[in-house]
Amino acid sequence: MATQKQVKTKSEQSTDLEEKVQKLRELYADAPEIGKTALENVIRALKSGTPAKEPAAPVGTAGRIGRRQGKVSELTVIAPLAPGGAKRMRAFLEILHGSIGNEMVDMVGTVHDMRFVILDNDTKLLFCTAYDLDWDPYIEDFATKIPDILDLQFGDVEGWPGVRSPKVKDFIASHQITADFWYVANPNLTVVETRRLERIGKATEEFLDKIS
Amino acid sequence: MSSEDRVGEDSRNCIAVDLHDIQATILRHRPEPYFGTHVFLHINDAHGGREFLRRLAPHIGSAADWWKAGDAWIAVAISYPGLVALGVPGDSLRSFPEAFRAGMAARAEELHDYGANDPKNWERPFGSGQIHVQVSIVSPTEDKWHRTMETARQQYEGFSGVTVLLIQDFGAQPGSLNSLGYKDSIGQPAIEGSGVEPLPGQGRPIKAGEFILSYPGEAGVPLAMPQPDTLGRNGTYVGLRKYQSRVGAFNRFLRENGQNDEERELLAAKLVGRWRSGAPLTLAPAKDDAALGEDPHRNNDFTYANDPQGKQVPLGCHMRRMNPRDTKMPVLTDVNIHRLIRRSTTYGAPYDANTISELDDEGARGIYFLFISAKAMSTLEFLQQDWINDGTFMNLGSERDPLVGLQEERNTFTIPKEPVRRRIHDIETFNVLRGGEYLFMPSLSALKWLAGLNAEAAERPARHG
Repeated sequence: MATQKQVKTKSEQSTDLEEKVQKLRELYADAPEIGKTALENVIRALKSGTPAKEPAAPVGTAGRIGRRQGKVSELTVIAPLAPGGAKRMRAFLEILHGSIGNEMVDMVGTVHDMRFVILDNDTKLLFCTAYDLDWDPYIEDFATKIPDILDLQFGDVEGWPGVRSPKVKDFIASHQITADFWYVANPNLTVVETRRLERIGKATEEFLDKIS
Repeated sequence: MSSEDRVGEDSRNCIAVDLHDIQATILRHRPEPYFGTHVFLHINDAHGGREFLRRLAPHIGSAADWWKAGDAWIAVAISYPGLVALGVPGDSLRSFPEAFRAGMAARAEELHDYGANDPKNWERPFGSGQIHVQVSIVSPTEDKWHRTMETARQQYEGFSGVTVLLIQDFGAQPGSLNSLGYKDSIGQPAIEGSGVEPLPGQGRPIKAGEFILSYPGEAGVPLAMPQPDTLGRNGTYVGLRKYQSRVGAFNRFLRENGQNDEERELLAAKLVGRWRSGAPLTLAPAKDDAALGEDPHRNNDFTYANDPQGKQVPLGCHMRRMNPRDTKMPVLTDVNIHRLIRRSTTYGAPYDANTISELDDEGARGIYFLFISAKAMSTLEFLQQDWINDGTFMNLGSERDPLVGLQEERNTFTIPKEPVRRRIHDIETFNVLRGGEYLFMPSLSALKWLAGLNAEAAERPARHG
């Protein structure tokens, strides 16, 4: 369903902030002294400073779950690993780490970064990535172009249905957690656009060198 | 286009889909010339709706011998509210994909149908939930069209179970050109196991499961299918989009950016990737070639191997966006899984190059597109977001499809050339969306199943949405 974007007036925004500050003070009532002092300092600075600018890009949701800023989305997954899975996963990731993996992810063209962290005595995987737009539409491309890489990367996650399975999207979404806070420096720049601008920048410098 | 001469012994032996159960429209190409009518109906009550389908079912064309041109046929597709109105059981309703259940209007955000294309600007009854059934009559001759239309009419006229909401004739265009004056519907995907050799340039046949439910798709497994199997098997989905062509804006654009007829026609070809006749710029870079355009064995027989920069066929033109073929793209993409079968049906006054006023933009002419695929909703949403209303996938920043893109202020169209590219500023939206629906196109046996749903199943509460 389409989400309704509501535009709030200045006074509504300041009432919003007042309410949030009030709630914070209540929650910090039994915080350690160092936190209380810091909170009051920050509130003072917030109130005396210039009003916050509109964000550079709309903040929204990335498909079903996760946050999006402009064109960049975040995906955070925590999922249990099959017995012995951590050992296999680590060994496979060891091969990917460095140029082989970089080349492969470069080819995907929508991934800003990604990390695999094995948690809790090798029982869980934390997978985080920042990527462009939605992952839903691209899963099918992965399933026909690089299915084995994905099945090796995630095959040790308990219950992984396989990237070719029609159930894979629901499976991923069921383990996804939306970040509470997430910052993006260049929300309007996709990976492809960043590479294009890099090339244009280089070409412009060359051009200027030649005519100067 | 006749496909008969493409049927060799080998392909006959390789028929792997149940042609007798699949609706004709899925495989049968639009004839040329063509005549036809779309009829949109509302089901008044479950019993009446089922009775209507029971009457209509024997007249629906199957895909058997689909390569034989010459006959007219009737096709039928049903919207989600239509399935609800027919009394399809709740479990079965819930087995349909979310986007289909929500309907095209509710998916405006996913389809980037904003501004002029926003469903709130659509013509009634589109997007209102009132359209339950679409019946289409397609014919190669005027005479057969009238006769087949009469057959269809007899099934609904004077019958209280259904109400006609809208009747739209299409086709009968001079030279079968579309509303902007181009030959269209060239370059359809070849479907594996459908019994016909691919045309030169059509590429390798794509797995049948991409287009027809219950067969393996490109990933090797069938897509999720509505239940029970009888309902889903051999069915598919249709994304219907009604566009109104802003012929005045299109002609003004050509005049403002071309000094003479020759320049204007080249620009028109650069927007599409093909000349008016259908001749592709790859094979006819300098001027139109009518004989090439009308020859199905030659007009699609090319790759982009020698045109990586788009100096012949611009990277951002309509044809290259909708089927990038071997274009090297900056995002990992399998070009074989974003294809749609397109059945384009032009309505209204024929294209006129001298039409330039803003008043002409509001005229009732344009195209009803039927996009057919076993995952039509997700493919259409992908295309609208990434390949039509963005340019990132072709390294074109935020440029949009010049024909069906929704242009924003200060949008551009880039034509690569030596020594530097030409960039045309302030391109306008040439085709405005006036309506759309997601529909399910059942197999012939599923139609009988729907028609025969027993009263008990119909009484069970079926929740909408």
